[in-house]
Amino acid sequence: MTDQKKIIEIRDLHKSYQMGSTRVNVLEGANLSVRRGEFLAILGASGSGKSTLLHLLGGLDRPDQGRVLFEDQDLRDYKRGRLNRFRNRTVGFVFQFYHLIDEFNVRENVLLPAMVGKSVLAWLAGRSQPKRRADELIEQVGLEDRALHKPYQLSGGERQRVAIARALMNRPELLLADEPTGNLDSATGNSILKIFEQLNRAGQTIVMVTHDERIAQMATRAVVLVDGKTVERRVGQPS
Amino acid sequence: MYKIILPLRYLVNRRISLLAVSAVALSVFIASVVLTVMHGLVGDFKEKNHLFVGDCVVSTPSLVGFAYYELFVEQLEAMPQVAAVSAVVKSYGLFTMGDRHSGGVQIVGIDPIRHGRATGFAAGIHYHAGDLASLFEPGYDPNLPGCVFGIDRIFLKDDDGAYQYDPCVPHFGFDITCFPLTAKGALRGLGSVSSKRFYLSDVSWSGLARVDDHYVYLPRAEAQTLCGMGGRDKRINAIHVKFSEGVTPEEGTERVRDLWTDYRENRSGASLAYLMDTVTVSDWKRYRRASIAGMEKEETAMIILFVLVGITTVFIVFVVFYMIVTHKVKDIGILKSMGASSLDVMALFGGFACLVGLCGAALGLLGGWQFLRRVNALEDWLHEKWDFQVWDRSMFAIGDIPHDIEPSVMGAIGISAIFACLFGALLPTWQAARLRPIETLQANQI
Ligand SMILES: Nc1ncnc2c1ncn2[C@@H]1O[C@H](COP(=O)(O)OP(=O)(O)OP(=O)(O)O)[C@@H](O)[C@H]1O
Ligand SMILES: [Mg+2]
Repeated sequence: MTDQKKIIEIRDLHKSYQMGSTRVNVLEGANLSVRRGEFLAILGASGSGKSTLLHLLGGLDRPDQGRVLFEDQDLRDYKRGRLNRFRNRTVGFVFQFYHLIDEFNVRENVLLPAMVGKSVLAWLAGRSQPKRRADELIEQVGLEDRALHKPYQLSGGERQRVAIARALMNRPELLLADEPTGNLDSATGNSILKIFEQLNRAGQTIVMVTHDERIAQMATRAVVLVDGKTVERRVGQPS
Repeated sequence: MYKIILPLRYLVNRRISLLAVSAVALSVFIASVVLTVMHGLVGDFKEKNHLFVGDCVVSTPSLVGFAYYELFVEQLEAMPQVAAVSAVVKSYGLFTMGDRHSGGVQIVGIDPIRHGRATGFAAGIHYHAGDLASLFEPGYDPNLPGCVFGIDRIFLKDDDGAYQYDPCVPHFGFDITCFPLTAKGALRGLGSVSSKRFYLSDVSWSGLARVDDHYVYLPRAEAQTLCGMGGRDKRINAIHVKFSEGVTPEEGTERVRDLWTDYRENRSGASLAYLMDTVTVSDWKRYRRASIAGMEKEETAMIILFVLVGITTVFIVFVVFYMIVTHKVKDIGILKSMGASSLDVMALFGGFACLVGLCGAALGLLGGWQFLRRVNALEDWLHEKWDFQVWDRSMFAIGDIPHDIEPSVMGAIGISAIFACLFGALLPTWQAARLRPIETLQANQI
């Protein structure tokens, strides 16, 4: 199932944060390449830079040094509009802390990427299709009876599922998930992991950050972030 | 689409947005009420001055006056731009009424019919309203020489500002005394004064305080005699001109000035030509600028005060928006991480600001309009119930509190309010929108 073509690649990535007078070097020459259809787990201790790396992959931040190549093209060379389209269509991002819009209900939150990608008129002309897709996704993550609820009415696990549905809305080529089960109990976590497994089986490329070894077992491949560098680690083959 | 839905949700779901709307509405309300009242007061005062003098005045500041006016009056009347002309004597005198009352007066000699046509004089006459031909005939004895006093010299006002007229003109006689001047500007002779008894035939109202308690109108020929301006080369001090419909005071005045320049040149050889040197032609605003200027200064001061209040309001609105946007920085990060451009984000919050501004301005203007509609009824009620009056009508020449809505003023206030909101919202939005999505998400609050 895994076709060998690279979808995204990082080369010699450096990223540091300035905090007052001290400089925190988070990534110091990280390398990684993700193939299409792969389920890659990024492991590492807390504070090792996993989220930072994922943000760089999704074009949400810029590296200090090194390159992020999507299909062999450096994100740095993207024009602003192209970068926005990349964030809107090419990647789906599941944040560690959900980041839903409080004023929107579940359905509207899921629809958001489709709305962002279209002008008002284009949206009004062709909204039935994205609406159908949103309803399918909501069903897929098991929230069909919560579709009109606002985020504050949902539990953490339910919010995470909304965030996943939202990330999938525009059928992204690359799904980036930052500890989607980190704040959840193991039962809820397992149900969410199942969703990812199903998606991957259907051909979805997934990069998931976690510090849970058990989850890493499900992935096709795992890398560990140590001292700002990625270390490849063979794990059990997927079933 | 989210650019439309989200602002609406912010407005409805966030109490602070409603506070912002209230802040805008309150400022718009106050500005609309105060500026309408001030605008109305100034406008009313200007209108009264305009009515008092007509559109244009050919006048000399000299008490000696100028001669050869009759022909000029004829030439003026022949001009298509001119609707009416009134030649007037102006001087100072004393009046005494028995041994009880005496005082200084401004003597104004007029032809009542002509003066009524050239100015708003006719509208301020009480007992001879509609019958200016017999203005100087006292009701109690038409054969006596009549005079018309400024109303404040004769009658008092009640609390509501209404004059307490006697049913018939009161039988008062006044000795009016004047120092006649020769054409050279000298007194007729040492110790020479001219004095004559006139009987009150009517009162005149202009709504201008300095006029209504200082003026006495006499028939022009009587005034000329009294002031030594009669005889062969009769003199006057001013010619009031009213222009035809459609002629602005400024353009009409320009024409009159041209005519006067020619007229004066043609007469340069005449023996009293030198008296014409001090004559100027001015439109009503310029002629009355001494009294209008004060009021205009007050209006300017008021506008400056309001600009200051406006700046404070803009700042308050700015702070409110800054708080709202700061609370919503996370949303900016979310939207940007999903591919919304900085411009999209600006449009979103700009739309929200416009919405708040529009709602606030509409509410404020509506409130202001309703308040102004009822302000006089409200004041009457306060006056009846609590004996409170904004202006003591027995002192001030104000009837109603001005409440005529000026659409341009209202429009300007509304638009400024919306701009204040836009300004307040776009600065913090721009700060948040130009960051990278992750910076915004992590910063959470600016
Ligand atoms: N905006 C920032 N400013 C300063 N330091 C930052 C910033 N973002 C991250 N860091 C620092 O960079 C390091 C890596 O952060 P990152 O969030 O990538 O870690 P992580 O591996 O995702 O940790 P966790 O497993 O706890 O989520 C941490 O030490 C963090 O304090
Ligand atoms: Mg993290």
